[in-house]
Amino acid sequence: MNTTIKEQNGELVTYFEGRLDTAAAPQAEKDIQPLLASNGKNIVLDCNALEYISSSGLRLFLTVLKSAKSKGGHVFITGMNNDIRNVFSMTGFTNLFEFR
Amino acid sequence: MDAHGELLLEQFRQRLPLLAQLETLVLQRLQDALSHQHIQVTAIDHRIKKEGSLAGKLERKGAKYKSINDITDLLGLRVITFYTDDVDKVAALVAQTFDIDWSNSVDKRKLHELDSFGYNSLHYICRLPAGDADAALCSIPFEIQMRTALQHVWSTINHDTGYKSDVQIPREYLRQFGRLAGMLELIDDEFSRLRNSLAEYRRRVQTLVASGQLDEVSLNADTWESYLQTRPFDRLNRRIAAVNQAEIFPTSLGAFLPVLIALQMNTLGDVQRFVDSNADDAYLLAVTELGVTDLDILTESVGLQNLCIVQALKMGGGRPAVVRILNAVSGFSDNEPLAQSIYDHAAALPFMNNK
Repeated sequence: MNTTIKEQNGELVTYFEGRLDTAAAPQAEKDIQPLLASNGKNIVLDCNALEYISSSGLRLFLTVLKSAKSKGGHVFITGMNNDIRNVFSMTGFTNLFEFR
Repeated sequence: MDAHGELLLEQFRQRLPLLAQLETLVLQRLQDALSHQHIQVTAIDHRIKKEGSLAGKLERKGAKYKSINDITDLLGLRVITFYTDDVDKVAALVAQTFDIDWSNSVDKRKLHELDSFGYNSLHYICRLPAGDADAALCSIPFEIQMRTALQHVWSTINHDTGYKSDVQIPREYLRQFGRLAGMLELIDDEFSRLRNSLAEYRRRVQTLVASGQLDEVSLNADTWESYLQTRPFDRLNRRIAAVNQAEIFPTSLGAFLPVLIALQMNTLGDVQRFVDSNADDAYLLAVTELGVTDLDILTESVGLQNLCIVQALKMGGGRPAVVRILNAVSGFSDNEPLAQSIYDHAAALPFMNNK
């Protein structure tokens, strides 16, 4: 699992690559710290290369969302495959995020 | 300007640092007081008088002021409210927060003759209460003006077009300003009346919801909010969550209102019957999907989303109806594959086979 953050057009774009499961979550949590420290910038979670997401991954996304919202920022998710969309739908997470 | 005016102007220059301190302090006190009482205002403007403006004032009527403390608007704040009622609320709050010099405070709203209309604003001359700050700060008067947004618009336009002009304004135009002031006063009153009526309506709806008389309550954004306060989906959500011992995260259910209306629900009674008659099937549909996963975090929308899908399928809407629901509540488009997957799961359930 790789997590890369790049600043593009004033937004923090985070690229997730691989499987965001319980085993990968602790490292990913460290990798996303710059997002939590950001000051109200919009955040894009790019899931084009994300193969799988577990509850730990959903909690990670939720942490990013809560942090961004508290600073007036938005979190957009892009590029989810059908399996991940299905996870978002069956858990009701589709209501929480904005999608591109 | 005479020597007395020059003296006052020099005293003003020396006082500027204190005025800056006072401005910060008063603004903070005012904002804290408004926030504590949950009074929303459109703006709080504040300024220290410009030297040029003070010089003009002293040239015109400098003899009127014996000392710098007699000039009460060196620091001025203006609170602009949404509603006329709120002007009085803010005034009460200002009177609680600061010491008011009542003899120099003016309620312009009460100065009009019964048949005249024009500048409407409440002006209080205030000081910080003794002991709230250094004695030097507490001795400086400042002015707080309070008015509604519409009064503010009128007086700003009137000021710009009237007082700053070099030419005499013809009577017909002055009369037109007066007529507009009267009209805005009526609109201000109507906004207040509307707010009071809405508050009354909300109280009535809450009473009906609380007493279970749901068929008498139309389904709309207001009533939906009231209904949600009764936590109608908690039981179903907890049932679904129990499958994976999941935690439930709160979320807004506002996006579901258009879906419910599209599903032909007109009253909260319809919604309650929809919940009662579909809860078991919605549970089964959710479990069919979640039961084969170890997902242990859900949001509060999970029960309602499954209820809507079950209802749409029972009404014969098929997969296109599921797509429409997902499009309405999910925030992304291209929901065809997801709808197909849900439809396939639902197709195996009893409610789809006992029609």
